Amino acid sequence: MEAYIGYFLYLLSLLTVGGIYALFALGLNVQWGFAGLFNVGIVGFAAVGAYSYALLTTAESTYHLGGFGLPLPIGMAVGMIMSAIVAGFIGLICIRLRADYLAIATIGIAEIIKLILKNESEITNGPRGINKIPRSWEHFSEERFYTSWPMSWFGTPENWEAFFDGLPNWYWQPLFAGTILLIVYIVYRMLERARTSPWGRMMTAIRENEPAARAAGKDVTRRRIEAFVIGAAIMGLAGALFAQHLRLIEPTQTFDSAKVTFLVWVMLIAGGSGNNKGAILGAFLIWTIWSASELVITGAIGLFGNVFQSVDPSILQTRAGFLRMMLIGILMQVILQRYPGGILPEVRPASPKATKTTAGSTGETK
Amino acid sequence: MKKILMTTTAALFATSALADVNIGNPMAMTGPIPDLNAPIAAAVDLAAAHINAQGGMFADGEALNVIRADSACDPTAAVDAVTKLINVNGVTAIVGPVCSGAAIAQAESVSIPAGVLTVSVSASSPAITTMEDGTDLVFRATASDAYQGVALAELAIAAGYTDLAVSYANDDYNAAIAAVFVEAYTGMGGTVTANEAHEPNKASYRSEVATIGATSENIALFSYYGSGGITLMRNALETGAFTNFIGADGMLSDELIEQLGAENLMTSTFTTAASDSSTPSYGAWEALATEAGIPASDPFVPNGYDALFMTALAIEAAGSDDREGLAEHLRAISSAPGEIILPGQWAEAKAILAAGGEINYEGGAGNQDFDENGDVAGNFSKSVIVDGAWAAELIQ
Repeated sequence: MEAYIGYFLYLLSLLTVGGIYALFALGLNVQWGFAGLFNVGIVGFAAVGAYSYALLTTAESTYHLGGFGLPLPIGMAVGMIMSAIVAGFIGLICIRLRADYLAIATIGIAEIIKLILKNESEITNGPRGINKIPRSWEHFSEERFYTSWPMSWFGTPENWEAFFDGLPNWYWQPLFAGTILLIVYIVYRMLERARTSPWGRMMTAIRENEPAARAAGKDVTRRRIEAFVIGAAIMGLAGALFAQHLRLIEPTQTFDSAKVTFLVWVMLIAGGSGNNKGAILGAFLIWTIWSASELVITGAIGLFGNVFQSVDPSILQTRAGFLRMMLIGILMQVILQRYPGGILPEVRPASPKATKTTAGSTGETK
Repeated sequence: MKKILMTTTAALFATSALADVNIGNPMAMTGPIPDLNAPIAAAVDLAAAHINAQGGMFADGEALNVIRADSACDPTAAVDAVTKLINVNGVTAIVGPVCSGAAIAQAESVSIPAGVLTVSVSASSPAITTMEDGTDLVFRATASDAYQGVALAELAIAAGYTDLAVSYANDDYNAAIAAVFVEAYTGMGGTVTANEAHEPNKASYRSEVATIGATSENIALFSYYGSGGITLMRNALETGAFTNFIGADGMLSDELIEQLGAENLMTSTFTTAASDSSTPSYGAWEALATEAGIPASDPFVPNGYDALFMTALAIEAAGSDDREGLAEHLRAISSAPGEIILPGQWAEAKAILAAGGEINYEGGAGNQDFDENGDVAGNFSKSVIVDGAWAAELIQ
């Protein structure tokens, strides 16, 4: 029985992290899939969202600025807003750059953000990072939450303590995973609405043929800034949830561009850029492969050791981590080879009713 | 492909379903410090091998499995790895991870909420001391930087350095120990002429060295030898910017002698966490490590052995592989009163515990008596070059 709870909790953790990455991928989809903005600075927006959330919601601390102890939704909202403000500022300056130049600018900006977080140690505790970040639902069982309003209206601290002692210690996990999935669903519905709306169709027009869109009287620069800011706000929210999931954030390893920017790009491309369902599918699929491959490879090495008794598997065990990265790389190649437009290619928004019969893969057009 | 996946999954479930004792061991196999990590992982395996060779766990001699996962020195990877260890592999306790950031993240995000004991091998961040709110689940087999930084500052004062420049790699470990060192050193009357971070893994540190080299003859260098430390020292030696070098355990390795030459290191002194080579426990550890071909005095290597050995002793003392109540047993087996147990003496310890007696494990890395925060007090040694090799001497 206990083993099944274990598998269930692992499944929940896959959904939690997959959901967070799905939000990142949805944010990137607005920027790249809708508007064709080549953002390689995802990690910067994630860090802004995560640090804003962490500084606002943690308890007072001597290690970093504040610890303002604000309610969690405020932290998440401010994470989104801060990320959007940073994106708006960047957008005003460099959104007119063509695809690859914008990519270079965003890489640079992400590095600048990371270096600021790393070196302004009075505010962010530098490379040692911020810990004790409250996580949604789990935070109710922390003393500073159940002794203050609004929880103190409903019960005395002793009652709350007894209540949380009575729950299994993983009670928050289904709730946290459910909250993230709900947020993913809401964002997905909003983006689907945006995609099929005139705004979304205008985005496609700008992406596919900018001079034509400009000639038709569209405010191209403004639309591109809008897409950039909306995408960044979603990434900021995802960053705040990422901070909740990890409970410790630091600038070097947590916000390593290979593990955030690169992984999110892989998720979007594999799932299908321009397709919101594809972005979500790609995120869950790639994260599950990334995480579960460790179990499979450990199992495979164990099996290898059992079958070939004369070979010492320990040499393989020390290389398992690297082996896993190689396998994921190969898998990526296979997916891209098989599905050049992603697993779920883009469906053109211009004629949603006609798509069922006539729409083909448009992945090749980009 | 599907078939292969199915069989491997089946094999995986089969191995974890055996009636063995499983200890999860997330280590930084990939990431920034695989070279520091490799001998620590070997020491963990050595402890498990000794335990299994000397009667295994409990009365019926169950095997002790070390299930290794990759924490990559990274909070994201560590949280994911430990989630799998606890939920899928169903481990009794966690030994590791190596880096402080990864250790704090996995503890706060996964192992404390799940009520699983963590004994960290080498996480030395001062933040770990105050991390827990009422739970007693995180221990570490290495001393906090708060102690080593102070020891190094005392050493600098004793060596007569009235002023020095500080250069630290901008990562969690080195920034933390540098901060403690600077505070202690200025508090003792020393002058810090420059205090600059340097980014790890650069090809050259000439500009950094030139900037701070003008301010003092002495440098306190906090860096990992494998990720820039050696390069920075080489640049400093080439330009003659500094005469005297002091630093902490990230820099202490035979690699330095191989790459820079012992004759260039005559003015270097590096401290390291706790290898009191005069104690019988270190002697026992050194003999075992040398026999197995593991560098006995490399940073955190004896700590790796101690962490696994003590965790196994705690599980043995508890009498079952349940997760609950291990903290209490861990304190009991590691501190007085009790028969003193040295590294490798599993059979003796097992016999005493079976007879209902008490034991006190003394490890290769120190006496390993945990305080109320799960920290151990530090023994520190200073290493200088004698006859072309590092010679460690305990700081009193």
